[in-house]
Amino acid sequence: MYCYDAVDRLIVEERVAQFRDQTLRYLAGELDEDAFKPLRLQNGLYIQRYAPMLRVAIPYGVLSSTQLRKLAEIARKFDRGYGHFTTRQNIQYNWVKVEEVPDILAELATVSMHAIQTSGSCVRNVTTDAFAGVAQDEIVDPRPYCELMRQWSTLHPEFAHLPRKFKVAFNGAKEDRAATPVHDLSFDLYRDEVGEVRLIVKVGGGQGRTPRIASIIKRDLHWSEMLTYTEAVLRAYNRLGRRDNIFKARIKIQVQELGAEAFAAEVESDWAHLRNGPNTLTQDALDRVAQFFIDPPLETWSEPASKTLAIDPNFQAWKKRNLTAHRHGDYAAVTISLKREGIAPGDATDAEMDFIADLADRYSFNEIRVSYHQNLILPHVPRAKLHELFSELDSRGLARANIDMASDIICCPGGDFCSLANAKSIPLSAAIADKLAPIEDEIGAIAINVSGCINACAHHHVGHIGVLGVEKAGEDWYQIMLGGRPDGVGRLGVLTGKSVRQEDVPGVIDRLARHYLDVRNEGESFIAAVERLGTDSFKIILAEEPAAA
Amino acid sequence: MSLVIELDQQGAKVIGQAPERAPLTPPKPANEGHGDVRKKIVPNVKQPTEPTNAEWEGGQYLSMQEWLDGSQEGGAILLQPADDVKKLDGRIGNAALISVDFHRIGDGRGYSHAFLLRKRLNYQGRLRAQGAVTADQVFAMARVGFDSFALRADQSADTALRSLDSFGVPYQGAVVAGTATDRADANFAARVRLLERALVEIAQRHDRPALASSLSAEDMVITDVIARLKLPIDIFTLETGRLNPETLALIPQVKERYGIEIDVRRPDEHAVAAYITAHGKDGFYDSVAARKLCCNIRKVAPLDEALNGRDAWLTGQRRDQAVTRGALPEAERDSERTMQKYNPLAAWAWADVLAYATRFDIPMNALYQRGYVSIGCEPCTKAIRPGEDPRNGRWWWENQGSKECGLHTIQNVTR
Ligand code: HEM
Ligand code: SF4
Ligand code: SF4
Repeated sequence: MYCYDAVDRLIVEERVAQFRDQTLRYLAGELDEDAFKPLRLQNGLYIQRYAPMLRVAIPYGVLSSTQLRKLAEIARKFDRGYGHFTTRQNIQYNWVKVEEVPDILAELATVSMHAIQTSGSCVRNVTTDAFAGVAQDEIVDPRPYCELMRQWSTLHPEFAHLPRKFKVAFNGAKEDRAATPVHDLSFDLYRDEVGEVRLIVKVGGGQGRTPRIASIIKRDLHWSEMLTYTEAVLRAYNRLGRRDNIFKARIKIQVQELGAEAFAAEVESDWAHLRNGPNTLTQDALDRVAQFFIDPPLETWSEPASKTLAIDPNFQAWKKRNLTAHRHGDYAAVTISLKREGIAPGDATDAEMDFIADLADRYSFNEIRVSYHQNLILPHVPRAKLHELFSELDSRGLARANIDMASDIICCPGGDFCSLANAKSIPLSAAIADKLAPIEDEIGAIAINVSGCINACAHHHVGHIGVLGVEKAGEDWYQIMLGGRPDGVGRLGVLTGKSVRQEDVPGVIDRLARHYLDVRNEGESFIAAVERLGTDSFKIILAEEPAAA
Repeated sequence: MSLVIELDQQGAKVIGQAPERAPLTPPKPANEGHGDVRKKIVPNVKQPTEPTNAEWEGGQYLSMQEWLDGSQEGGAILLQPADDVKKLDGRIGNAALISVDFHRIGDGRGYSHAFLLRKRLNYQGRLRAQGAVTADQVFAMARVGFDSFALRADQSADTALRSLDSFGVPYQGAVVAGTATDRADANFAARVRLLERALVEIAQRHDRPALASSLSAEDMVITDVIARLKLPIDIFTLETGRLNPETLALIPQVKERYGIEIDVRRPDEHAVAAYITAHGKDGFYDSVAARKLCCNIRKVAPLDEALNGRDAWLTGQRRDQAVTRGALPEAERDSERTMQKYNPLAAWAWADVLAYATRFDIPMNALYQRGYVSIGCEPCTKAIRPGEDPRNGRWWWENQGSKECGLHTIQNVTR
């Protein structure tokens, strides 16, 4: 895990002091709302439906147990005893007080954490694969590059007032687990013929009201020019991106209107002046951060072939669903599901966070990851200790075996918390999970995403099944999309028909799932069947009966 | 004309009269979230047409187009957010001033204008930001190349000047991308600034904080910061009666250099006399108990007395000084003396101390040049060879574990 040096520490501490001063001036009436708004947003403070919300960055999803304990303490001291993990590897507190935020930030600073640029029109928290450094299909460990990007983009003086928010993601594995095709700027890392790390650069992906898959604008960027190229992209966006209409201000619109080639040409012409410049990365710079992203001292274990364990069906199910293979054969990465019955997806209480931090200390070298799927991961668990860990998790109701299944729904805060929501998403997710429960095992892997409005915080465009809240005459209605996927080249889901009422959504999804069970080939996943047969063949099923079945 | 802050070699200065402070909009209630926020989103933002201020000290501004159409001999250019700055390439001529108009805080195009003017077009003259220029933007504006700020009418010049110092060592450029030396330099600067911040905070938080100085290089570093920033932190030293003349020489040096009178604390004469009678002047060589008693009389008791009535004390201890200090926190509770104890140099390496000494040219004990690393009382301190454990120079006849005296007991960590 990255360890702050004096430079990192000073920046975070001075940021806290700066925000404390700004908040005091705001509360004293010296700073008006207009001037305070961009300042608080760039420190992660939103004004929400019921209370201010604070979003804390978990850079590229890596947490130490000490940091997780601090997040728990903040939930306890400053919030109502829980936090909400998001798809962008952040944590949100929904009940903070404006005047206490500087104190929260000061607490975070003591464990090398911050809320810098977690909202506002700036470069946001950098995200990547939650299994970075662990996954068997990894080509290049993205974490050092993420950390360099985090530092360079933090408080960049030129790019703090972009037309809109700007999200950056990295993928270094064969399977893209970071949803890079729907990011404003993203990088695929690979090794060229001589083993040098190079990047494929993609821009203009996004969701929201105009979803778009990112365009590749460069295929062979040398890693040392990662920051200079990013600078050129950001300058092209900052200068020429649309500012006349907030709905058209994301970079995807600029890339769309200009064409990817013309956009790339603009970037290249600026980059020509920047390459081999002060922001070109030296080997020293890469080595300096890379030294922190090395394997913990993994040992050789042998898995006990216990008969009693083999017949515990719950353990077997959990093992089947919640484990990810580790590069080291004697270890596994364990996903702890935060999708539990009766609890909002991604929520964890302070006691649970403390508990998971303890487990990380005992089973996973003090390390935890936060995933795009809003779950927590213990990245390095010895296989020999899996049953022990399972029993501990089970005793606290944290062993639900549903990773990547129908009840592992990605869901935004929606109408229960978010002031932008058209409709609720949390109770609907619960209803969908309930409805599919009897056939969940049969369905197997499926990604269901539920967003409360077109802002698409739950990435419904790239869910195998995406649900979007739209409001009709004061009631909660939903559109249902089919066939999206965030990985690989990315694909956007297509609408299945007219919007439906809240109470009808679970039934519609149930019919889509049952249709899949009817038509699938041996061993074929939901999304594979949809792609083989086409979304239309599924839509027809829905059209056969009225939606209000 | 509004208030203008200008930066130059000497620093920042304020030009002009503060206008009547515009009445402030009182902050809205913290929770604006009731009702439907979407209705507050105004989708279309009009492109600015009128400049926020059409005049500068020398008359009317010229628009970029007017400038390009004219002679480019004198006068000032006013750039609008949508202007393509690159058109000025090779045509800046002798502009007296370029001003960039900010119509809204959230429109960041002007920052890229400034970057391009400075770095691409190599413009060296005055570069002003005007319009929606608030105190909180000034720091970032200065970093992209602005050196003149016409503040929005409701902004305070004091706040703007203060905010210019918001960050000591920001990221980007060599700090992130450069060599190991670049980062080491940045880290040194950051470490000094962290120390300054820590001492300022201690001074603010406590009524009567004091530095217990051993006149070591570490304590000279802290003394230097206290003096430079004129902080209300007292400094005392424990004159055991057995210190080297080189050590004692620092007391007048500090006075001369900083005008600071170090409070010199001496042990109780009767106790010292009794010790000498019982154990001999150098009785501490005979046993740990005798050494501890001597330390007790000559250091611990005077220290307790010096700290009496205070609410915090500071030391120059560092983690890598001794096995006993490996977990030294920067702030701890001295529960025996019921006050806060700070070790602001805890994370410093000896190399940092030396770098500080060179950079700020602070008074240093002459013994360092003779191989001493840790300097205490004359009979109990000796030089060490290069590379040897620093503690071998103190109470070398004892074993490592006992080499603390009760002054720095291990305390509960508070952070
Ligand atoms: C007999 C008990 C001791 C007393 C009363 C005592 C007292 C002090 C005092 C007042 C200081 C000044 C604080 C400062 O640096 O700001 C100091 C510094 C220091 N002490 Fe001690 N100390 C004792 C034992 C030790 C021991 C056992 C060691 C090493 C094993 C040690 C090593 C140091 C070092 C390295 C410094 C930093 C400055 C220097 O080297 O002179 N001290 N001590
Ligand atoms: S998708 Fe809409 S409702 Fe959900 S959190 Fe985002 S903005 Fe709020
Ligand atoms: S260091 Fe030596 S001389 Fe000084 S007080 Fe301790 S025992 Fe006595």
